[in-house]
Amino acid sequence: MDRLTRLVRREPGLVISLVLVLVLLLVALFPQLFTSISPLDVAIDQAMLPPSADHWFGTDDVGRDVFSRVIHGTRVTLSICAGSLLISALVGGAVGLMSGFFGGWSDQVLGRIVDVLLSFPPIILGMIITGVLGPHVGNLILALSIVYMPVFFRIARAGALGEVGKTYVEAARSVGVRESTILRRHVTRNVMPLLLTQYIILFPMILQIQAALGFLGLGVQPPTPDWGAILEQGKDYILFAPWMSIFPGLAILIAALALMLFGRSVQRRMDQR
Amino acid sequence: MGSYLLKRLAASLLTALLASILVFLLVRMVPGDVVAQMMGQAGGENAATALREFFGLDQPIYMQYLTWITSVLQGDLGVSWTRGLPVATMVGQAFLVTLEIALLTLFIATVIGVPLGILAGIYENRPLDTVIQSFNIIGLSAPVFWVGLMLLVGVSAAFSWSPPLRFVTPDRSLADNLAILALPIASLGLLQAAAYSQFVRQNVVSAMSQEYVRTAIAKGVPVRGVFFKHILRNVMIPIITFMGLILIQILGGTVIIESLFALPGLGRLLLAAIETRDYPVLQGALLVVVVAAMVVNLLVDLTYRLIDPRVRVA
Repeated sequence: MDRLTRLVRREPGLVISLVLVLVLLLVALFPQLFTSISPLDVAIDQAMLPPSADHWFGTDDVGRDVFSRVIHGTRVTLSICAGSLLISALVGGAVGLMSGFFGGWSDQVLGRIVDVLLSFPPIILGMIITGVLGPHVGNLILALSIVYMPVFFRIARAGALGEVGKTYVEAARSVGVRESTILRRHVTRNVMPLLLTQYIILFPMILQIQAALGFLGLGVQPPTPDWGAILEQGKDYILFAPWMSIFPGLAILIAALALMLFGRSVQRRMDQR
Repeated sequence: MGSYLLKRLAASLLTALLASILVFLLVRMVPGDVVAQMMGQAGGENAATALREFFGLDQPIYMQYLTWITSVLQGDLGVSWTRGLPVATMVGQAFLVTLEIALLTLFIATVIGVPLGILAGIYENRPLDTVIQSFNIIGLSAPVFWVGLMLLVGVSAAFSWSPPLRFVTPDRSLADNLAILALPIASLGLLQAAAYSQFVRQNVVSAMSQEYVRTAIAKGVPVRGVFFKHILRNVMIPIITFMGLILIQILGGTVIIESLFALPGLGRLLLAAIETRDYPVLQGALLVVVVAAMVVNLLVDLTYRLIDPRVRVA
């Protein structure tokens, strides 16, 4: 208990963000704990009602409960972000590790391709891929994972290059350990913390892009609840029914805030080592 | 410096060429092409084949690319398949709108963000710093389209005013043009100011913790003197180079803002071209965006090398 109070006092940002992240996780995993109304229940006679005791966040243009849609949207939005970023980290990280470790002309070629991908502003790259392939959740995940794959590639590659120069690698090689074993057992293990930190740091950013794509109509399609998509549906009624946009936007803000504070605390601790 | 410049330019050109290939391929990823879209159910096989030949879609893909890239290098971006206008004209007009938005936003972000960041850094850990950092963090987390929507609601409720609906270029009426752009620029500008402010703060804090600064203060030099003579000079370099990164982020943000406020910029052009499968417009607009981003990156890199005397000698 004493250690806990000391932690709260020393690092309020870490504690607050951790609590918020846990709350988000709870909402995403168990939405039924927070609302019994279905996010898909249409009731035209109850359309565009302001917030009240029955509908905490009001209702939308077809009478659906906005609070329920925001709650259920948590799982949709966060799982898409988590999944895409994981694919990004795994593929980008693996390719980057091998590229940095083995080097050669394939490393040069990959480096050029990564430079080109990074020359696209992220939202525009995501927009083109989802727009051209079609607004389907699978395409959204593909687009989002491609957007940040170059970043993980670069981090893994830099990490691998850093490890390759170290004495233990030279020692292992001289003893006759196979390249693939060195890569697997030693280099990967040392680069993992870098990738994990990057994952946490990029999460709020991919959340923003996912929400923006939803807002542009290129993400999750109605009636599935997704924070960005709910904002897209609400924008035409902004002056008549602002509650359709205020609350989902706040959800994005709070989630991004929590994840960003958490990421900064993690990064600070990593730097201290 | 000269040889570095040449090498850097060569690398940029190579990347630009690869980017153009990527742009070309990305656009062709679409399932079902423009001809199918245009014709729908009507027309038979002959009409479809003729149309495909007209658009050059019957050629092998590398031929299509070569045809396109040679015309681009001659300044011809083709003709829109849906509007019939030259793509270069459409993209040029849209680019000017986006450029105006981007530059004004950059101005707002700099004028608000830099002073806030400097103040926060100087008064580190004091109440003013906490307030500014809170603003920064909220600004970094808020989605730009939500901020735009909230400003719309807020301004409408408080002043019973909403921006004019039809876009007007500054040469026609500067007042109307600025009235239309006020809210979009405010939304994007405030958020970028937060990002800028946070970055500047970090730099000021680390500059102030340098040994020579602490020595100067210990020797009795007034803080203001220390600030202007030492800190500002060292912080200026990253501040100016960061401007380029902010500009790239603004470029991405304008796409969203243009969609929300219905402004006829590159972002809206891209979205419309995606919807209508208008390949030439999509390619042209995308190429311009990517090249613009690359030019900004190149300028940032060169500026950094130019103004940092330590780098120049090396």
